[in-house]
Amino acid sequence: MGIFLQQIINGLSLGSVYALIAVGYSLVYSVLLFSNFAHGGFLVVGGYACYFALKTLGFNIWISSLLSLVGAGFVAILVERLAYKPIRERTNVTLYLLIASMGMSIVIENIFVVTVGGRFRALPPVIPTAPVNLGIATTSAFDIISLGVAVVCLVALQLFLSRTKWGLAIRAAAYDLRTAGLMGVNVNRLISIVFFVAGALAAVGGIFLSVRYTLYPQLGTITIKAFVAAVIGGLGSLPGAVVGSLILGLSEMLTAGFISSQLRDLVVFSLLVITLLVRPTGLFGKSVGEKV
Amino acid sequence: MSPYVESIITLLMINSIAAMGVSLLTGFTGIFTLGHSAYMALGAYTTAILYMGHSVPWAIAIFAGAAFAMLVAWLIGVPTLRLMGDYYAIASIGLAESIRLIIANWQSLTRGARGYPDISKFATFNVTLAFFLVMGALIFLLIHSRYGRAFKACRDDHVAASLLGYNTARYRVLSLVISAFYCGIAGGLLAGFLQYLKPDMFDMLKSTELTAVVVFGGMGSMSGCLLGTTIITLVTELFRPISQYRMLIYGAVLVIIMVLRPEGLLGRYELGPRLLRHLFGRKTPEGTEGRG
Amino acid sequence: MGALLEVKDMNKFFGGVQAVADMSFTLEKGELMGLIGPNGAGKTTIFNLITGVYPLSSGAVFFRGEEITGGKTYDIVKKGIARTFQNLRLFGASTVLENVMTACQQHYPYSFLEAISHLGRWKSQEKNIRNKSMELLERVDLAREAHRAAGTLPYGHQRRLEIARALALQPELLLLDEPAAGMNPDEVMNLNELIQKIHSDFQLTILVIEHHMELVMEICPHILCMNFGAKIAEGDPDHIQGHREVLKAYLGEDEEEASA
Repeated sequence: MGIFLQQIINGLSLGSVYALIAVGYSLVYSVLLFSNFAHGGFLVVGGYACYFALKTLGFNIWISSLLSLVGAGFVAILVERLAYKPIRERTNVTLYLLIASMGMSIVIENIFVVTVGGRFRALPPVIPTAPVNLGIATTSAFDIISLGVAVVCLVALQLFLSRTKWGLAIRAAAYDLRTAGLMGVNVNRLISIVFFVAGALAAVGGIFLSVRYTLYPQLGTITIKAFVAAVIGGLGSLPGAVVGSLILGLSEMLTAGFISSQLRDLVVFSLLVITLLVRPTGLFGKSVGEKV
Repeated sequence: MSPYVESIITLLMINSIAAMGVSLLTGFTGIFTLGHSAYMALGAYTTAILYMGHSVPWAIAIFAGAAFAMLVAWLIGVPTLRLMGDYYAIASIGLAESIRLIIANWQSLTRGARGYPDISKFATFNVTLAFFLVMGALIFLLIHSRYGRAFKACRDDHVAASLLGYNTARYRVLSLVISAFYCGIAGGLLAGFLQYLKPDMFDMLKSTELTAVVVFGGMGSMSGCLLGTTIITLVTELFRPISQYRMLIYGAVLVIIMVLRPEGLLGRYELGPRLLRHLFGRKTPEGTEGRG
Repeated sequence: MGALLEVKDMNKFFGGVQAVADMSFTLEKGELMGLIGPNGAGKTTIFNLITGVYPLSSGAVFFRGEEITGGKTYDIVKKGIARTFQNLRLFGASTVLENVMTACQQHYPYSFLEAISHLGRWKSQEKNIRNKSMELLERVDLAREAHRAAGTLPYGHQRRLEIARALALQPELLLLDEPAAGMNPDEVMNLNELIQKIHSDFQLTILVIEHHMELVMEICPHILCMNFGAKIAEGDPDHIQGHREVLKAYLGEDEEEASA
């Protein structure tokens, strides 16, 4: 029983980190209607920014995290302006954006490979990982902290979307980008803000994943799991991304704990196929009907 | 011809066979894939296991491998391709990863991550040339038939295509299955050429390379994809010393082409009189050329 | 035989918005019927519902007596219904000829094996497809443009191309969605002639959505007028022109146009 609960908490913790990534990805999808595969790159930027801020610049975790979020946010804006904006201004074929995003993902990942090298780096142990006894189960402080931070971030995002002017604009844009623009929203600025937010959220996820799995340039490939989570929850739906992520995290941890660690990724993939077979729009997804 | 040149050209032909498959899927049917190395892996390992492990004649083993790749493609394709959007792309990444994992972990069957060694060489220059010519001819003939027009219709406007009586889901799956066949054959030949296999020969780098050459050569041009494969294979051979930059270059190629010239080298033109007329001849009347 | 097309108590909701309300009408074989109404009245939605692009919220559609409600678009099309689009859906980068051939080839099949070998029926069928397509292009006076990219054609020509492509499906029922949109009075007159010609030459049943009154009143003996998703009048041109509800629906628009 203890192990079961432990895996549940592990699963929730992992799922909450996935949620940070999946939500950012879904946010971009809901506004621009394409899968930004470069999202993993933002994660990696966040991880490395934090690492270097901690190690080389010697800042504490709070400042390092802030730098990491801001850094990843700006990289996200840069990617958008450099690669996506020229394409979306010329055509509405999302295939081109998709390919460009894949290219950017590879470019970002390999810039790190080429500059700082592909070896695994451990973040300085500023986030406590000591075991915590909850009575019925033992978990690590890290799991509790990452879960807590994820919740805080998601709540902050929710407040941003529901209470601020730009949040309203983003929700409008998610409904219909063109009309939002016609209503006076500065579309380019809105897209930049969306990307900044997505990048910042990915950075938080990246920091926690770096602690969990150590930091290396290909860490971004874990984003595929966040994509799957977003699909399970329903592409374009933020609550769906959260729920899908939790489901995924739990499935992974329960599989790793009770069946086999190797099969984790297979379970992720199977869940994707099952979702597409049974309920392709996901749990909360809206099927965006095309105007004919 | 020196053995070195011969082996380069053999490798080139093998890559071209795979690339033609991806070109059919991405260039002509408009489906983005990021995991076609999975089908090469399936073809390669099935061929090796049947040929070396069960004394199946290599010709049969290759086709068995390709058939297996087709089956897997069909299983993945049916649920994902009836939906428009990025679902297949995401699933393809998951598939490629899963296949790689299975191969790496099923030691008893595939010799695992250490690799499958000592495959007798059956993919000589002449054998590969025969496959290349026949398969190249078949796909050119296919494109210049009602199937070619049907695939292009599904790519250019799936709503219009369905209103012309086309079951677009079926055509998309057909295109995928054919592309998997081509990659499967290429994989099988690769086994017989390199004489050993390792699971990480079929990783993201390989998948990306396949997509990159198709995009670079021109989506919608089969001869363009051959041109792209030739250029990229030769460049990576010549610039072996900078092989660590390969991935970075592939990524950059994808982005730059999408931003500057999404139609790639040849656009939708095949090498031939029409292309020459387009480049050097009298320009057709002014107008906005509709993008697909 | 009963009506070629029967629409019965058709309803369509998009979320809370009712796009089509209790629509019923029948179309006899050989009729040329017009569907008019202000913008947003739901006319194109009806086309989409008939062809299965959108599912009906309730109601039924019968074609040649057989119920086609809820069918897949490609199946419905194969039964003999073809349409053109309000916003043009040509394969812009393909040639004019290819656009028509893509439709035409549905009636000149050959097998996959014949396709990859170019043997057997490939040659003869491809020839048929090409010839038949050129014939249709000649009918709409576009044969000279056969090898131009469809997207480079002037707007009016693109509309004619869409009609040719739809004809290539050899339909029994042709749904034309604002075929005269963007045309000047001369072009509309030519289009009138074209529609009447294909109506008789191909023995088609045609349902036309149009805003150009000079087209509809001129060539359609049977007209249905709708507003806010519902039928407000149905009858011959005289009946429609004198109908209070029709004038009300359009008068508002006219006043705005006059003062604009």
